[in-house]
Amino acid sequence: MAVFMDLNITYTTDKKRLRSVIETAAHLGYSTVAINYVVDLQQKKQEIGKPKCVLELFDTFPIVQGKSRPIKVLNRLTVVYSYSYDLVAVYPTTEKLFHAACMTFDVDIICVAVIEKQPFFFKRSPINGAIERGVFFEISYTPAIRDSTMRRYTIANAISLMETCKGKNVIVTSGAEKPLELRGPYDIANLGLLFGLSEGDGKAAISTNCRAVHLHGETRKTALGIVHTMKKDQPLTERQEEEHAPASKRAKIETV
Amino acid sequence: MVRLKSRYLLCEVCVSDRRNLSLLDDRAIYTATKAAVARAHGDYGAALSSLGFSVKYLNAHTGIVFLRCRKSHYRLLWSALPFITSLENRGQRVPCFLNCLHVGGTIRTCQKFLVRYNTQQLHRMLPLCQSEAERSEIRKSVLSCTLKKEADDEEEEDE
Repeated sequence: MAVFMDLNITYTTDKKRLRSVIETAAHLGYSTVAINYVVDLQQKKQEIGKPKCVLELFDTFPIVQGKSRPIKVLNRLTVVYSYSYDLVAVYPTTEKLFHAACMTFDVDIICVAVIEKQPFFFKRSPINGAIERGVFFEISYTPAIRDSTMRRYTIANAISLMETCKGKNVIVTSGAEKPLELRGPYDIANLGLLFGLSEGDGKAAISTNCRAVHLHGETRKTALGIVHTMKKDQPLTERQEEEHAPASKRAKIETV
Repeated sequence: MVRLKSRYLLCEVCVSDRRNLSLLDDRAIYTATKAAVARAHGDYGAALSSLGFSVKYLNAHTGIVFLRCRKSHYRLLWSALPFITSLENRGQRVPCFLNCLHVGGTIRTCQKFLVRYNTQQLHRMLPLCQSEAERSEIRKSVLSCTLKKEADDEEEEDE
């Protein structure tokens, strides 16, 4: 008999309901289920939190109907991805994901962990691959301002990144939630010295590299930079609107 | 001839609530900076910063502060400034951050920069004016910003 899986059980914060759904799934005969956390990026500030550990839900997993093994519960993430975003960043937490993100994912920014000690070491090959593709590594400095232990992790991870990438393709950003957590650009360029960047690299980390990331994001929208769409200026006066031809001529496409 | 060279860091104290700004005094900034350097760079940093460090000037109305330190390790001090999160004064804690605007070798160069910076700030305030009287006041202050005044108040500014 085949193994059945249901890979989309919507996550609810109500534990009882989640538990009962999984029990029903086990009763119906599914061997594996995945709890789906949907991140809808249309809402302004939603972080992809850590998924709830499945062991918290059950002390003993319900036994699958027709088999003798307990049901297996996985965690799944869905990101609602649409074209209205200018930049895409990813935050890999394991070595394999980091390698995949550097070489193949269509992202602009790869976030380097600052809140915890990096569980894996940076290898030269995925980093060089990322540099060739134009993907940048991001270091966030606000956790360093908040807490002293985070400061140590930030500096340690940043320095190990610099050793491998030689200071290329790095941007430094804040993760500010309040206006008091921001710092001026020259201060941050100086903070780059603490991270192991040279002085020119530190200034580049907040100026030229960021501009390159922005352009990289734009080329994603425009089919690798070949087609450039431009919106016609929207608030036309009434006279001009009457003169213009029908709506089919509204979007102007320019080939570069 | 051996000359003791120093660097003057021109910083602006940014607070979320402008009323708290008047509570500042130079001892608070001094202790906060020393503590931040000690936390970021340890005993070595604390020792170095105690050598030539002092708060030379503080303007409580605008939040401008001059920090003076030795040229050989002004970077150490500067790199610890982003880690200052609050200033403590007479038991009251004011959350703020220091934004470094300029680094100069003498007070005079910092003053010149400050005059230019304040004229820029006044220009920025001009479109936000509500009434014509305020506008003419600002224009007058812009024209009167020069360096030829006493060391204590170099430029005029109205908030």
